[in-house]
Amino acid sequence: MSLVEVNNLTKQYGQELAVENLTFRLEKGTATALIGPNGAGKTTTLSMLADLLSPSSGEISLADGLTVGFLPQYPQFFPWLTALEFTEMAAKLSGVGAKKAKLQAIRTLEFVGLEGALYKKTGAFSGGMKQRLGLAQAIVHQPKLLLLDEPISALDPTGRREIMDLLKSLQQDTTILYSTHILNDAEEMTDQLLFMKDGHLIEHGSLEEVKSRHANPRIRIRFHKPAEAVKFAEEHSWKMQVLTDSVYLSVDKEGSSMQQVLHTLSSEKQDILGVEFQTASLEEIFLKVVAGQ
Amino acid sequence: MKQFSILLQKEWRENIRNYKIFWIPCVFILLGITEPVVNYFMPQILEASGGLPEGAVFEFPTPSPDQILMAVMEQFQTIGIVVLILAYMGTIAGERNSGTATLLYVRPLSFLSYFLSKWTMAAAISLISLWLGFLAGYYYTLLFFEELEFSALLQMVGSYSIWILLILTLTLAASAILPNGGLAAAAAFAVYLLVQLADGLLGANWTISPMKLPGYAAAWLTGNPRLSEFVGAIGLALLAIIGLIVLGSWAAWKNKAKTKV
Repeated sequence: MSLVEVNNLTKQYGQELAVENLTFRLEKGTATALIGPNGAGKTTTLSMLADLLSPSSGEISLADGLTVGFLPQYPQFFPWLTALEFTEMAAKLSGVGAKKAKLQAIRTLEFVGLEGALYKKTGAFSGGMKQRLGLAQAIVHQPKLLLLDEPISALDPTGRREIMDLLKSLQQDTTILYSTHILNDAEEMTDQLLFMKDGHLIEHGSLEEVKSRHANPRIRIRFHKPAEAVKFAEEHSWKMQVLTDSVYLSVDKEGSSMQQVLHTLSSEKQDILGVEFQTASLEEIFLKVVAGQ
Repeated sequence: MKQFSILLQKEWRENIRNYKIFWIPCVFILLGITEPVVNYFMPQILEASGGLPEGAVFEFPTPSPDQILMAVMEQFQTIGIVVLILAYMGTIAGERNSGTATLLYVRPLSFLSYFLSKWTMAAAISLISLWLGFLAGYYYTLLFFEELEFSALLQMVGSYSIWILLILTLTLAASAILPNGGLAAAAAFAVYLLVQLADGLLGANWTISPMKLPGYAAAWLTGNPRLSEFVGAIGLALLAIIGLIVLGSWAAWKNKAKTKV
């Protein structure tokens, strides 16, 4: 059985459906990226998994004894507690024994890079520090399932890099479900992609599966001048598109292969700037899938 | 109950660090001292404020010590209760609205422990304030007026403590039920006034009404209330407190989805 099975999950607020008929599974030890525009229902979905919200219909089944850690998008802390006091309390409330809790809290705070702020009150924390503390409270009890709502969106590029590395190091013994709109990062750490829009799941699968469905691989030949690109297009009967100084050849069953293209270019002694193989980035795929609905 | 002690430690830190543990007792001590002091210096105060015709002579009846302490209780009944309701109206609603509750609610939290930890801390501070206020008032009453038996004071404050706990528990339950602290305070005041009005209009024969507790408490100063009525009122008040604790814990759990995520 999967670690988490979500079947026909629906959440309704009055007439409005925040999440509708969502079905997916999380396998043990995998990372899943939940991707979608604002208002797609990502936070609602995560809140239901964290047992903060109860579903209107459908069901969530978690493996027996599954421990969960949750990081909200904007974690709020009691401003008069220090980082260590808060993290220790979080550990204890999640069932970590009193003796172990403090040690585990200190280790976790060091792990997220807050070793210099153990005794600082959280009221004086910057946004980035709050995000790190939020991660610390989510992992301090070593949960088997980690739910993260936009864990890196509020961070600067350096912080983002660090937190991504931390998350990747957790992946070995933790199953992670995280929402994000920073798709470069999703591409980096994902075994499964879930695209949501208007409360629906509109595309899912592994990165490879999604890419093979939508990536549209192509070969770009770049010329010195736009006129040369147009001339090349006129002289060849390949399936292609001209855009400013380049031609884009589609690579599919009836399209051309790199070998053919290179052979043609060299035999014709074409004077070009470069040739490259391109696939759509996750961001382009996302925009295309969302627009296609 | 393990969670109770963890959460109580949090409440303890909160009430120390936001100074509630200092300023609430200060308010009650001030209120307690004011009555005997103002009464004692009344002639001088009137003279200093002027406006009295030359040669006017006023005879002030010296108030008895029980009258002074009853006046202290009246201060607590109005200003004291307002202070407590305002201080604790946001206890649970405030945590939900700021989102600080979220990181507690996503854990396997016992909402009874959660509510009880807040109740215990608020009750401790309120009762300490109440006792310090009455003791300060009692001290100045002895200093400026006549003797009053200490045991009478203990009986009075002990009975009145149950009343204050009832008001406080009502406030905390309202904070668990309603969406924000302002509404919780308004509801606590409304319930307080309505029940008092109902008791005044219809309660003439209902002698074991918890609403009569302040009156019964005051009766200890001059003698003693009718014991069967007094015990009945205390018993009902305790039942109401337990009921409100259960209701508050349930409402805190029921409203957990309303915390800001």
